Amino acid sequence: MLELDAVTKRFGGLTAVGKVSFRATEGEILGIIGPNGAGKTTLFNVISGFYAPDEGRVLLDGRDVSKLPAHQICALGLCRTFQLVKPFGNLSVEDNVMIGALTRLPSVAAAREEARRMVALCRLEALAGAPARSLPIGLRKRLEVARALATKPRLLLLDEVMAGLNATELGEMVALIQRLHAEGLGLIIIEHIMAAMMRLAHRIVVLHHGEKIAEGPPESIARDPRVVDAYLGEEFVLADA
Amino acid sequence: MRPHALALAIFGISALTPLVIRDGFFLDSLILILMWGAISGAWNVAGGYAGQASLGHSAFFGIGAYSAALMATRWNASPWLGMLVGAVVATGAGLIIGYLSNRLKGPYFALATIAFSQVLLIVASRWRGFTAGSEGVPVPFRPGFWTLGFASKVTWVYLVLCLALAVYLVQVYLERSRIGYRLAGVREDEDAAEALGIPSRRLKVMAVAASAALTSVCGALWAQYVGFVDPFYVFSVDLSIRFALNAIIGGIGTAMGPFVGSILITSLETFLRASFSDVRGGLIGIYLIIYGCLLIVVVRFIPQGLVGWFGQRFRAMGLYARA
Repeated sequence: MLELDAVTKRFGGLTAVGKVSFRATEGEILGIIGPNGAGKTTLFNVISGFYAPDEGRVLLDGRDVSKLPAHQICALGLCRTFQLVKPFGNLSVEDNVMIGALTRLPSVAAAREEARRMVALCRLEALAGAPARSLPIGLRKRLEVARALATKPRLLLLDEVMAGLNATELGEMVALIQRLHAEGLGLIIIEHIMAAMMRLAHRIVVLHHGEKIAEGPPESIARDPRVVDAYLGEEFVLADA
Repeated sequence: MRPHALALAIFGISALTPLVIRDGFFLDSLILILMWGAISGAWNVAGGYAGQASLGHSAFFGIGAYSAALMATRWNASPWLGMLVGAVVATGAGLIIGYLSNRLKGPYFALATIAFSQVLLIVASRWRGFTAGSEGVPVPFRPGFWTLGFASKVTWVYLVLCLALAVYLVQVYLERSRIGYRLAGVREDEDAAEALGIPSRRLKVMAVAASAALTSVCGALWAQYVGFVDPFYVFSVDLSIRFALNAIIGGIGTAMGPFVGSILITSLETFLRASFSDVRGGLIGIYLIIYGCLLIVVVRFIPQGLVGWFGQRFRAMGLYARA
């Protein structure tokens, strides 16, 4: 449903993303990995409409959405979270999620109900009334997911929602993603935690210096010499073997 | 009814006062308290709810005041029509300033709005042929409802009370409606709001335009009440600061904050002016010093404003749910 066609984004002389092409099909979990500065988040910003690509196209269901602003892309069913979480700090957790739900629902009452469901799904009920700024980082990441889910996306882009979580929280997040996938949601996930990525992703795209250096199922990616060289390192292959 | 308890108390007392007190000076103070409160409430629509704190709202106030005054003096039209024209012009001005300064935040947005109000001041004070320049425009007093000429201050109290209620209800709407919640999202984090499907720029422009229109309506009514429009007063930065100050001290982004702020600031000013005017004329300016101190104290110790602060105290005592 999502297709990137030779997408390029430059900042001055720096090519942050260079001629990246890939597809994400309906209901698939696609992983994106790569070292820091590889252009992963820039790619998300291009896909979600925060940057327009300098070259190439982003197609959603065959429609060119490269020039659309972010809020229209969300309306088309593609929502993203932010690596550096952006909660509506002074609003309650439930209001945060409800603002997401209001994108699809015209009535505040219906949106509040939907928000309660999403808050429960992401296990934030106990803190529904707390101001979002009072949440620790792990719960803020979950709030990002709950808020994005409330917009009823068909494709969800998660930018490092597992970074900084403890072991329990990590397990919960993996379970949540598996559950969402089982319900038919498509996901594109940026993540550094390889153990989680290996369990979740059906396919992985590897970025390095803004370019796609590999793409394939997790097992073959883990053994790809270019990927090992650029990102994973020898120890990962040894530990995995 | 608990969320409206404070509004009921303040507006209720205002409505009952003229039945008991007929003193002109006192009623005049009440009218000004409600009027400045309503204008600060109009300011709050952009400054509080949309997070676009303007320091040039006197521009819209002046547009309203001039529209009503000029329509009446030049074309002999009803000031109600002037009020409508002013609202339309202010909406247009709000759309333009809102659009042009869309990407500006905080102090930069404030500076852009100050510049806008100062441009209007120059136009109004130099365009002699149309605005009568720096002499100002006396508003003719023609008794009657359609000409907005009321000799009785009691009538004015109820008229301005209607205005205050309308502004209060607009703010309450912004706290509970879909558009209000989405606007709160934009205020809190524009990127996050965009990602969640909210057209943040359009909402901000709309909020500034709505705030401008309301402010202009207040300005038209003020011109009719006071009877004279002086460009150096209606377009002044002092006035813009007063609009913002009432809301900040009372509680920015709360529906009653602007009114609570106005009660405090307006009565303080009236009191100081009255008590220092005859003997020690040089001391009139002292209220500015007191303003300043008050602002520092509020921003330092109760940044959420008086309404929020008392709301917390009352909640702690279990008295009511929300201020």
